[in-house]
Amino acid sequence: MNLSQHLPALIIVVPLFFAFVMPLLARWCKQWCVPTTLGAIIFSFGAAVKMTFQVMNTGPFSYYMGNWPPPWGIELSIDYLTVFAALTINGVGLLIIWYGSKDLLHELKSEVIGWYYTLYLLLMASMTGIVITNDIFNMFVFFEICAIASCGIISIKESRDCIEAAFKYLVLSVLGSGAFLLAIALLYMVTGHLNFTFMAEALPDAMVLYPKNLLVALGLLVVGLGVKAALFPLHAWLPDAHSSAPSPSSAVLSALVIKVYAVAMIRLLYLVFPRELLGMTPVMEMILWMATLAIIIGSMFAIVQDDIKKMLAYSSIAQIGYVFLGVGLMSESALVGGILHIFNHATMKSLLFLVAGAFIYGTGARKLSELKGIGHTMPIPTIAFCIGAFSMVGIPITSGFISKWYLALGALDVGRPFFTAVILISSLLNGIYYLPIVVNAFFSKPEEAVKEPKQLPRQMLVPLTLLSIGVIFFGIFPSLILGIVYRAAQLLLGL
Amino acid sequence: MEDTIVRYVSRIILPFVQLYGLYVVLHGHLSPGGGFSGGTIIGASMILYALSFNLAAGSKKLSHDVSSILESTGALIFAGMGLISLLLGANFLANRIAGFPLGTPGNIFSSGSIVIITFGVGIKVASTMITLFFSLIEEEHSHEHH
Repeated sequence: MNLSQHLPALIIVVPLFFAFVMPLLARWCKQWCVPTTLGAIIFSFGAAVKMTFQVMNTGPFSYYMGNWPPPWGIELSIDYLTVFAALTINGVGLLIIWYGSKDLLHELKSEVIGWYYTLYLLLMASMTGIVITNDIFNMFVFFEICAIASCGIISIKESRDCIEAAFKYLVLSVLGSGAFLLAIALLYMVTGHLNFTFMAEALPDAMVLYPKNLLVALGLLVVGLGVKAALFPLHAWLPDAHSSAPSPSSAVLSALVIKVYAVAMIRLLYLVFPRELLGMTPVMEMILWMATLAIIIGSMFAIVQDDIKKMLAYSSIAQIGYVFLGVGLMSESALVGGILHIFNHATMKSLLFLVAGAFIYGTGARKLSELKGIGHTMPIPTIAFCIGAFSMVGIPITSGFISKWYLALGALDVGRPFFTAVILISSLLNGIYYLPIVVNAFFSKPEEAVKEPKQLPRQMLVPLTLLSIGVIFFGIFPSLILGIVYRAAQLLLGL
Repeated sequence: MEDTIVRYVSRIILPFVQLYGLYVVLHGHLSPGGGFSGGTIIGASMILYALSFNLAAGSKKLSHDVSSILESTGALIFAGMGLISLLLGANFLANRIAGFPLGTPGNIFSSGSIVIITFGVGIKVASTMITLFFSLIEEEHSHEHH
């Protein structure tokens, strides 16, 4: 048996396997829960790194579950985009749960902590599955696992807010799944295939025979994935869900979960649907305008928030808009910017949510007005917050600048400077709500609530530091990650 | 609630319900149904027992702890069969190619790893039904104490 050849399956199966071992461990040897969880995610991360080298050296490859070749069996496809997304998910997910292993102890009841690790591993496995599968129904199954696990890690806190938010998320997410399932049915009806590659081959002919079916399928697909990715008018569930959950959950939901649906949409729109169909309908144009509204209105909502986590949640709505802006512009640079923003936003938003969690851990305060002067008493988390905030605004040498730069270039490439202006305006809006926090943290007198914070344990400080270093590092040396993103964009656009 | 008629009737039908559930699970690869439907029938029979007698009697037969352990076991059987295929040198969840004997079609012991996987799914679904039931009921009880 050659292990490395089975990595595409193992990257999903290992977290899934240990998710089911976790209840047993929680019962008999509690102290093994954390090391096992970390071990499983480290394995997945290692697998993603190994596959990245493999893809960069020898090109995309695929894996047949149970040795059944497509179109009969499920195919896992490892190309530039999927390996990039798997790397992001497992790398950021690892740091979040490392931080969470300490933070959860004070946020959750001790008897449910074992379950949290089960849900977290299920979430990691399903997200990796969504991005690497090449089978649309398999993708739907992973959507369901992902939706249930995400609701679980919100409602596990058992406060009124969390349960209400989780229920709202569950209902809307099921509506999204329903729309997606109908889209699958319509596509299967006209093509007879569930595999992306075979569907893409059959669709140009089917388009001529059943144009209405395909249009409805396309609409349902965009709406279904839009609800799950919280694209602007469909974002109603996000602010409550992301702000009331325990901090590690907020971080993983905002940084990763909404992104995997964006990756799924990119793959479906670019790899499955024929280019002529996208040219016939204004779907890309609609995505573009929804993204623009998301960017502007999400930032405006964020300005008026007083709760730090709620502000970050609204900021996520704006940031997912950037990803979709890159998708909708259909130029190489913009797509590079959009895909790169998936990674950059994952690092900086998880950093910001974890810092918010650290503030709440240290002081119990979550109102921005109470957090004034926190830079004097909790310097390291506050500096990390500054780095994240600068990156959100898009100040050079942080990674946020690079993705906004490529998005702006992409908008100019296709001759639509309006969207460059949108990016500039939204950077100013981001500045309006992030910079006062930074200024107040360092230049005003510490408020009563933040005078004597609890000392942060090392398990929480190290992930914060690593994420901040990551944000700066990928701002200065973007070429490390740009290589793979460029190839992903070229593959998607068929260049 | 204690009701002689309900108890008597459920005592009579329970063995048949469980036997039928087991039949559906074990013939998952041959006839309609399978791990999921059979598991549901077995789980429902346990819920019927706990409802018609009482919770204490129900959890004596199969406690919440045991059912949640069985839940993990069922899922691990499924994943484990996939990993065995890997060890035998084929892809994940491979069946004949990994060397599982397919047997004569129509026999219970045929179709290689599928019969074991269906059994695992049956355990998982039955115990999940029971665990869900216990979780809901115990929640109710803990609220009454407050």
